[in-house]
Amino acid sequence: MGIDIGKFLKNPEFDILITTYRDIFQVEALETDRFGEEYKKLSAVITMSKNDLKKMEFKSGDHVKLSNTYGSVIVEVKESKKNEPGGVAFMVNSPWSNCLISDETEGKGIPEFKHIKAKISLSKEQITQITEIIFHK
Amino acid sequence: MLTCTGCSLLCEDIEAIIEDNKIKGTKNACRRGAARIKGCANRLVPSIDQKPSDVESSIKKAAELLRNAKSPMIFGFDNSSCEAQVQGIQFAQKIHAVIDDTSSFCQGLLMEIILQKKLKTCSLDDIRNKADVLVYWGSDAQDSHPRHLSRFSYFPRGESRQRGYEEDRLAIAIDVRESNTAKICKKHFYRINPKGDREFILALMEALSGKAPVNDAKNMLELAGVLKKAQFGAIFVGIGLMYSIKNDFEILTKLANMLPKFSIMPMVGHYNMRGLNEALFKETGYVNRVKFDEKGVQDNKYALIEALKNKSIDALVVVGSDPVLSLPRSVLSHLSSIPVICIDPCQTFTSKISSVNIPCAATGVESAGSAVRMDGKVITLKKIIENNYRSDEDVIKQLMGAI
Repeated sequence: MGIDIGKFLKNPEFDILITTYRDIFQVEALETDRFGEEYKKLSAVITMSKNDLKKMEFKSGDHVKLSNTYGSVIVEVKESKKNEPGGVAFMVNSPWSNCLISDETEGKGIPEFKHIKAKISLSKEQITQITEIIFHK
Repeated sequence: MLTCTGCSLLCEDIEAIIEDNKIKGTKNACRRGAARIKGCANRLVPSIDQKPSDVESSIKKAAELLRNAKSPMIFGFDNSSCEAQVQGIQFAQKIHAVIDDTSSFCQGLLMEIILQKKLKTCSLDDIRNKADVLVYWGSDAQDSHPRHLSRFSYFPRGESRQRGYEEDRLAIAIDVRESNTAKICKKHFYRINPKGDREFILALMEALSGKAPVNDAKNMLELAGVLKKAQFGAIFVGIGLMYSIKNDFEILTKLANMLPKFSIMPMVGHYNMRGLNEALFKETGYVNRVKFDEKGVQDNKYALIEALKNKSIDALVVVGSDPVLSLPRSVLSHLSSIPVICIDPCQTFTSKISSVNIPCAATGVESAGSAVRMDGKVITLKKIIENNYRSDEDVIKQLMGAI
């Protein structure tokens, strides 16, 4: 068996701008069981335009690492079903997206929940568990 | 009939199917409302230091922790009855605490201006009966308030709008994404860049003044023309718009002043967020971020996020809210070094890190009261299930007594 050189190579990283939104199915899952698999499945996701996916060589279902100064998180990437022009990726508002939110508020108490700058790269790690987020210090 | 507490529309036409004193199903509710009414899978159980306890011991322990606190904060009440909120404010006054809620990083800024009567607003019933131009701005009502368009704005027949959406009404969406609401608005969807709302408002104000904006002049003049022709318009302000213009909020007032036929409606999230805002405003003149000493004083440093960042609170009581879910993880570390007391019907992410958990009834199902709809109308909440859970109002009363 040869050496898998690929595992020593760092996956390419891309800059990405993320905005958050609400989803009725995810909110329904939240109301029913916020600790359940359904809530995780509907929350730990980043949606991107077809063009952006192609540019970054991701395919729907891949796991990606999102990281910035404020934290990092592993989520699933999906192609948007909407006619999005690209340049902006979308995450449902959840503890997973909140891992990436800046604590900078200029003293006004309102963080930038809808304007998240991060790096994105392909990952072989499992989706971040909610317990890792809750008990992270 | 039952009132739904899924969101601040407080739909009053819900039927509940009850079997063996449990809700098995609902009629008329949206997905979110049905899930809320049926209840969560994991009820909160009383605990101290994450070890099972009983309600009396948990309340006693919470009182002890709060007696020892020098700068406590009470946070939440957006999912509580108005009656519990009044108790919460009295509680904060009694222990000289800070009181804040989710509106602090949501619709609070807009709500304060509306309660100060600096912006024109109206009722949802006015909108159903009269509105002809509806602007969803940074708001995907179809997902956040799923019956907004069908009960009040776009689809229903109204006194002056007999032909509803087919002829009498026009819906516009201004958003960074093609939301489910934007899809309904079809060609009246205006896509903007993230944080592009201010630029869009400036261009729209130019177009309303009869000037051709530098960017996208054709679309902006067309939109200005539609808005000018409105007989009764409504702008539904979502948090997308709120967050985008938070550093220049006056610009919304300037735009509203150019649209005298339009009312502004905050798309309040939690079902009784406006209730707490109104109760606190009546007591202090402020809607949130208030510290009680001799009297209530508002300051940005009393916002939960600032208090956690500055480590300026030494105990936190959370009622009907889940800050560990909704706050940036980057500000949460202080929570692990102070006692957190959680009062809620359900287990939450916050209850998992709390020193003391006290379960309460689900208001609107297991306890009665009232709540304030997003437009300010007071709506009655009924009790339809009998069980032993105490209302959060009663829990707060007992906690106050124990202190």
